[in-house]
Amino acid sequence: MKQPKLPSLFKELVDMPVSRLVDQAQEQGRRALAYTCSYMPEALLNVEGLCGVRVRAPGVVGTPMADTYLSSVICSYTRSLLELTLEGTFDSLDGWVFVASCDHMRRLYDNMDYLLKPEFIHILDVPHKSGEAAEKWMTEELTELAEKLSDAFGVDTGPEAVNRAVALQNRYLDVMRELSEMRKEKNPPISGAAFSTLMTTSLASPKDLVIEPLEELAAQLRKAPGIDDHRARLVLAGSQCDDPYYVGVIEDTGGLVVADRTCTGSVPALAPIPVDEKNPLAALAKRSLSNVSCPRMMEDFKARVSEVLDVVKEYQADGVVLQTLKFCDTWGVEAAPMLSAIREAGVPVLRLEREYALTSQGQLQTRIQAFLESMGK
Amino acid sequence: MSFFDLVPVKPTLAERAASAVDHGRHWARIALMAAKNGPGPMSRFAQGKDWMKQMARANVLLDMVTCTRSGDYRKANALAAVELVAGFGDLIGALATRPDRVVIHEDLIPPEILFAMDLAPWMAELLGIAVPMIEATFAEPYIDASESAGIPPDVCSLPKTVMGLVLENQMPKGVAMVTSNMPCDGGMASYSVVEKEMNIPTFRLDVPYNFYGDRAVEYFANELRNMIAWLEEHTPGRMDWDRLRMICDERNRGVEAEMELWDLVAQKPAPMAGEAVYLSHLMYMIALPGTPRGTKLFQDLVKIAKKIRAEGKGALPDERYRAVLWNPPTLIYPELFVWAEQNYGVALLMDMLSYNRHPFIDTKSPDTMLRDLARIIMEGPMARHTRGPSENFFGDLFALYERFSLDMIWMAGHIGCKNTMALNGMFRERCRERDIPLFTLNYDLSDTRVVSPTDMRKQAESFMETVMKAERIR
Repeated sequence: MKQPKLPSLFKELVDMPVSRLVDQAQEQGRRALAYTCSYMPEALLNVEGLCGVRVRAPGVVGTPMADTYLSSVICSYTRSLLELTLEGTFDSLDGWVFVASCDHMRRLYDNMDYLLKPEFIHILDVPHKSGEAAEKWMTEELTELAEKLSDAFGVDTGPEAVNRAVALQNRYLDVMRELSEMRKEKNPPISGAAFSTLMTTSLASPKDLVIEPLEELAAQLRKAPGIDDHRARLVLAGSQCDDPYYVGVIEDTGGLVVADRTCTGSVPALAPIPVDEKNPLAALAKRSLSNVSCPRMMEDFKARVSEVLDVVKEYQADGVVLQTLKFCDTWGVEAAPMLSAIREAGVPVLRLEREYALTSQGQLQTRIQAFLESMGK
Repeated sequence: MSFFDLVPVKPTLAERAASAVDHGRHWARIALMAAKNGPGPMSRFAQGKDWMKQMARANVLLDMVTCTRSGDYRKANALAAVELVAGFGDLIGALATRPDRVVIHEDLIPPEILFAMDLAPWMAELLGIAVPMIEATFAEPYIDASESAGIPPDVCSLPKTVMGLVLENQMPKGVAMVTSNMPCDGGMASYSVVEKEMNIPTFRLDVPYNFYGDRAVEYFANELRNMIAWLEEHTPGRMDWDRLRMICDERNRGVEAEMELWDLVAQKPAPMAGEAVYLSHLMYMIALPGTPRGTKLFQDLVKIAKKIRAEGKGALPDERYRAVLWNPPTLIYPELFVWAEQNYGVALLMDMLSYNRHPFIDTKSPDTMLRDLARIIMEGPMARHTRGPSENFFGDLFALYERFSLDMIWMAGHIGCKNTMALNGMFRERCRERDIPLFTLNYDLSDTRVVSPTDMRKQAESFMETVMKAERIR
């Protein structure tokens, strides 16, 4: 499948665990904070003086050092992050903010704290359900984090400062949403791999430094010819997938990924953040709990299935690729009933289990090929 | 009588008589259960439930814990095993006779509340915990059923057993279900499968990660209030606060006795160890708390321990080492405790499932009871150790090491427990810093095919002989 040409900036960033734009921001006096989960409202880490970096581990080959501490039965995203950390890849970052999102992340936090004793480390306790009490709890958690950030880095985390960061984040979300919407077209001007490149690199970069290149790209793509050599339109669903090369393998086999319902995908993460002048942290808390839906949110299984089915309709997809990271318990277990629920709705679905690092490309191609053929494509 | 690699003790005449009495009591409990609940409801309930046949062989557990011990220690273990079956009988009896009140619950839901609402609680994990102690391979067909349905093999085998029991139509039916985000991601996620298959209304409790302080207590107590309101809406159960007060008062008495027992266990040589400590806790603090029978069991164990102590003896004939088995006991190989005693004089004094903080419940008002029940769950073994910050895990373990004057730590390294597997590196280093010998036993909690009991025993042998330089007693 033909892949659209992306600006060199994004192609360069995709292979960098720490974006050079982060170095640039730090040279300007900002402090860079790593985070690992979509439940962390990034806007709070993007107040003036700070920049949030959603860390990835591109290029990691093995995880021998991380396995010593985390064992080999922990998800490979978690292990890869620890491996790169122990190699010193993230030394330039100024701190870590974790979310008590799953067993693996909680233990990564414990091991990071023990092994590195970073100057700034925090873990956010995000409830496992939504609703008024959970939103209150989460708002209090964000308030505590905001105070800690202010104390540690001397930054303003008051309502006005957070609202400015929210405005910046919304501008970023607007452009990403526009790019995502283009994928609804019959012959979209942007592929899934290209979108994934933009998404993962921009999440790992200071937003103010990527918004303009993204807006310029969106303007170009509005006039660009569409991709018309695909065999089927697919929705990529499941756990964390921040590897554009993985999506590329699916697309090389003829399956155009038109929407991604993953931790770092287009759905539903690109919805705008509601503005609350007086209490922006409450707005951030509410959005996190209602907008992102990982199986860690224990009451929302039916909503997650509906969401996938809605996306299939909205993006006129022919089928769903449900991929889960090996050893991820939440997605690993939920994928089984989700698979049958999607099938029961009459939508073709393929389940894939994968490692964080891209391996067994041939096997992946064969599975996709067979899936497309099973759909008569 | 022969057990897996254990040597039966040659009983005295008195012990033979005592054994006959124990078996009589064991069968009497079962007969009483059948008589009390009526043969009709019991046989209807038992229909199609393969595990009831295995439960009928529960006397093997009694045999295992008694034929290998002697004297008062034998008596204490017999007591715990008999009362375990009796407790089981109570729970099953309620399922058979009051099907309209059966509430399936996950193991970290306070059953005190369900009993106070006059419901018939059934802990979904109980079969997967208890039956492998009678028949080691019990869980394996259910693990397979679960994996056949698409559950990954790396998920903890206990939730896989639960899902398999449901998929194979072996789980008792309920009118409603209450679960939570505990004890791990695998356990929490398994309830999406259980809910889909059982198709019953389900309520989920959210236990915070940062559970210290009033904010967390209020948050979780509020979850309990919502659960009560939900149960009143979805079941015939109604909250009876006076009944809850009675249950909590009884639980407090039981806790008082159990704390006394632990104080005795902490003495050298320990006048109590093994199954007497963990089976009693499993049934009467986790599954069936707040019952007079539970309180009496703990009080009786205290009396026996005091008697052993007064005679200047320990529970074991020759206590050479003292250890804790961190993580839950080895369900597929309960003989490990006896084997360690017989071969190396290792007294296994405590395990993680039993060792949890025991706040007494202030029964002044509904609010104080709910807040203290919230504390018990939040500070309970799984919420606290496996899921909570690692400081809880290590802090408690090292405190326990001092309190019980231990010589080593045995870590039951259940391969499916990612929470504890991810602490093993830190664990090794932190034990080394303190000069604490650490034995990590690689195995699977519910599946003998991953590591067989023979291999588990070999690992223990290797540790005792190479690290501890222990000489075998036999």
